Amino acid sequence: MNVIVLSAVWGVVMMFSGLFIADKSKAKYVAIAGLLVLLVANYFDLHHKFLFASSIGNMLQFESFGMIFVTIALLSTLLYVLLSGAAVEKVGNHAYEYFALLFFVLCGVGIAASYNNLLMLFLGIEIMSIPLYILTGADKRNLKSNEASLKYFLMGSFSTGIMLLGIVLLYGATGTFNLVIPAVSKASENMMVSAGIVLLAIALAFKVSAAPFHFWTPDVYDGAPTVFTSFMATVVKVAGFIAFVRLFENAFGGMTDVWQYTIALIIAATLIAGNITAVFQQSVKRMLAYSSISQAGFMLFAVYSVNAFAKEGILLYAAAYCLATIGIFAVLIKMKDFTFEGFNGLAKQQPLLALLVSIFVLSLAGIPLTAGFLSKYYMVLASIKAGGLLWLIITAMLCAAVSVYYYFRLIQAMYFKEGDANAIDVNPRFKALLVVAAVLIILLGVYPNALLLDWFHIL
Amino acid sequence: MLALLLILIPLITGVAAFFIKNEKSVKTWALVASLATLIVSLWSLMHQDNYHSIFSKEWLPDLGSSFSLGLDGMGRMLTLLTAIAFPVIFIATNKSTYKDSNQFFGLMLLSQAGLMGVFLATDLLLFYFFWELALVPVYFLSSKWGGERRIPVTFKFFIYTFLGSLIMLVGILYVYYINPEKSFSMASLYNYTFGHKAQSILFWMFFLAFAIKMPIFPFHTWQPDTYEQSPTATTMVLSGVMVKMGLFAVVRWLLPLFPEAAHGNDNIVIGLSVVGMIYASCIAMVQDDLKRLVAYSSIAHIGLMCAALFAGNSIGVQGVMVQMFNHGINIIGLWVVVELTERQFGTRKMSELGGIAQKAPALAIMLVIIALANIALPLTNAFVGEFLMFNGLYQFNVWYTVVAGLSIILAAIYTLNMIQKVFYGNTNSITENAVDINWNEKLILAVVVILIFAMGVYPKPMIELTKTSVESLVSAFK
Amino acid sequence: MMQPGLYHLLFISAALFFIGVYGFLTRRNLITMLMSVELILNSVNLNFIAFNKYVWPQRLDGVFFTVFVIAIAAAEAAVAIAIIINLYRSHQSIDVENAEELKY
Repeated sequence: MNVIVLSAVWGVVMMFSGLFIADKSKAKYVAIAGLLVLLVANYFDLHHKFLFASSIGNMLQFESFGMIFVTIALLSTLLYVLLSGAAVEKVGNHAYEYFALLFFVLCGVGIAASYNNLLMLFLGIEIMSIPLYILTGADKRNLKSNEASLKYFLMGSFSTGIMLLGIVLLYGATGTFNLVIPAVSKASENMMVSAGIVLLAIALAFKVSAAPFHFWTPDVYDGAPTVFTSFMATVVKVAGFIAFVRLFENAFGGMTDVWQYTIALIIAATLIAGNITAVFQQSVKRMLAYSSISQAGFMLFAVYSVNAFAKEGILLYAAAYCLATIGIFAVLIKMKDFTFEGFNGLAKQQPLLALLVSIFVLSLAGIPLTAGFLSKYYMVLASIKAGGLLWLIITAMLCAAVSVYYYFRLIQAMYFKEGDANAIDVNPRFKALLVVAAVLIILLGVYPNALLLDWFHIL
Repeated sequence: MLALLLILIPLITGVAAFFIKNEKSVKTWALVASLATLIVSLWSLMHQDNYHSIFSKEWLPDLGSSFSLGLDGMGRMLTLLTAIAFPVIFIATNKSTYKDSNQFFGLMLLSQAGLMGVFLATDLLLFYFFWELALVPVYFLSSKWGGERRIPVTFKFFIYTFLGSLIMLVGILYVYYINPEKSFSMASLYNYTFGHKAQSILFWMFFLAFAIKMPIFPFHTWQPDTYEQSPTATTMVLSGVMVKMGLFAVVRWLLPLFPEAAHGNDNIVIGLSVVGMIYASCIAMVQDDLKRLVAYSSIAHIGLMCAALFAGNSIGVQGVMVQMFNHGINIIGLWVVVELTERQFGTRKMSELGGIAQKAPALAIMLVIIALANIALPLTNAFVGEFLMFNGLYQFNVWYTVVAGLSIILAAIYTLNMIQKVFYGNTNSITENAVDINWNEKLILAVVVILIFAMGVYPKPMIELTKTSVESLVSAFK
Repeated sequence: MMQPGLYHLLFISAALFFIGVYGFLTRRNLITMLMSVELILNSVNLNFIAFNKYVWPQRLDGVFFTVFVIAIAAAEAAVAIAIIINLYRSHQSIDVENAEELKY
């Protein structure tokens, strides 16, 4: 509750501070201050101390799963602003507004992580999406950015329509927007519920870019200003998954026979589509877009197998994926050339950066000792617990092996190929932050309990 | 405690090596570190009580995994092999210069840490961790300092083995899921008997990973290219120690966990191994490149070890234990000779060499001894192992023994052919000015040769060391 | 005069929804596409109200949901118009076919 209210308030504060502070390079400091405030607010949230007394009529539910995710999202955003805040200011003249929009997105993330009612789900997803349409088109002079935002908007609003149709069918059958679906007896009502679930699944699959509804993702991620792609591909996408998991666990957990196989098919399609296409990319930015699709395939395992392992796993996955992807994007922003060739020989010029990028890439590829391995491990374990399908798991493993192919191309380019790639404008603070991210990834990969998972049980 | 030290020393010194910029001092540092590991390993031979050889700490309680290490007979033997191999490799390749040598030696030590972990882990998930971790440094080593085609070749190697490991990971997950104690610990898994259907699926999931690593025909295609393209020091690690990971894992995990499936599939596995032996020996006969020749001969040797393991009787398994160690020594010796030849003449083509024996008698004598050990002549170490293995295989099935015996003859042909082509005959323009090896190289080859004879004449300590492992394996297998 | 029943309304709503989908998929004019999206949203609104009135008349859930949908749709339209104007400035056209910078 605290985070939801304060992030909206701070978004307004950001906009107004844009009026009073002429120097736009100060924007990121206001944003960092705001994020720190939000983290404190989140701390109170975690302990169920609400600063704002308001009757929410059971429409929001602040359970530790969602709140810990909000912590991860806020920390990732903080890392993101610290690493790439300067790049946000370079996008255009409206630095304060961009940051304000980021805060509104965080408000949506907060709602999506704690909704207990389909109305709140709808609002949360929309509050996350609408500011992103704007951010995608933030680079106004750039045609690609304009078109990306158009495409994003069209796909986003279309999927909103589908989601609303799903909600209306559930409402028609049960008469409530609560997540606890009452049992229905009539065959027609039963069909409406099933159709509603499938439509909701499709709409959310659109939002988290799962195949076959993923086709907008590469174009939008490629066209959007790289800083905002970084944010979209991490915090927002994972928030979509949290919403997805919460919906299917709380509302449809008892009806797994209706949707589980559909989700399994979506997972297989997502993994195959994402990984195979990523192999053929020449641009690192586009490769990361496809990699985000393939990672989405793994995260969908949490939706497939709604159980305790899945929830722990998706939290770990969220942390691992956000840290690694934000890190790679932060380095990518500093590069002149976004192709794989653009990274040739980076290890010579910037040995530390190359090492850190390698750690991030190894984590995304799921090599042991990194958080990426354990999070994938949790996902597969959860699906086995849920009576997993062997063909699905084998497909996932084959795809993980394929993913090594394109992730390691980056390592090959940096370490083994000749070239004079260099990152511009890299200061020690930037490197230190990346080191922190890499250390966190390794700590999460070696000993996740103390850092993350135990909190899930304590709180 | 010693078990932990065996991992920690190479790990810490390996990380530290990245910060030593001076090439000379990093070489010394790596050598000292590997000697320290060797001392600890020898120490562990003397202190075989639980306090020294077992280490356990809680790690991932939610997942039922703990950080537990343990040294048993086989573990001692293989950690000793690893500990001997690295100083030998460092001394033998002392002359080679590497750009960014700090990274090279750091990665070498890290791969040693990974190997030690594989041999020590008594928790299946921890084993998987180290299994992968041993691979990553080797990938970097081969891709950065290897030959011309290094990038695609090592990439193939990596993806191949990674795919195998991932399939094994699925198997590990199912093992955990089926095990009622929800634990990865070796003791708990050994106690549980898996059902018939589960065994038959899980067996292949694990076997695939191990077969790729060993490698067993037809999963061997990555191996000759990788051996050829890797820098020789890395090739020594790969062929001397890393292929033992596959055999070790079969003994440690595959056979005790799924004995029924192993029995059921023994003909397939032994058949593949024996076919692989003949196939590899035939190809070795037509190789011109020394590295490729040794690589194929290694496939043949590993095939014999795998076949003897699956024969499942104590004499054959005992032979494998002895041979794992001896093969590591012999093949490192062979690589040292190849390295010395290549460094001096700039080529590994047998057709371009000849008559070296006249100019470098010491090198030639050493090579002949190592090569004879490679074809298991009596009095050399490999004879003991191969004799035991053939004996075991004979008890299992005569025909396999006959076919496998054929590969020994082929091995004699290509090995003697190699000696003849490279060391005897007339000198040519390349080999005319050959000089003999210096004392440093003599020393290292002498160590190898002494080990060859010592193990050949008096193999008893090695057999004693691994006896308990053999007995427990064979009793589980019955 | 006949009172419209639930099925009439549902029929109209379904028709509107599919007209919207059809328009979205076939029209190349951005404004028309935006209108199609609005049609989809409004068909859902109609559906909410119909269910509320005929099936679950005890509470006003559905009607309130409609209010939220209208508000969100307005916000979306505002953003959409801004995007379209921006695109028009650079292309001098609002035909979606002209926006092909991002083709593979």
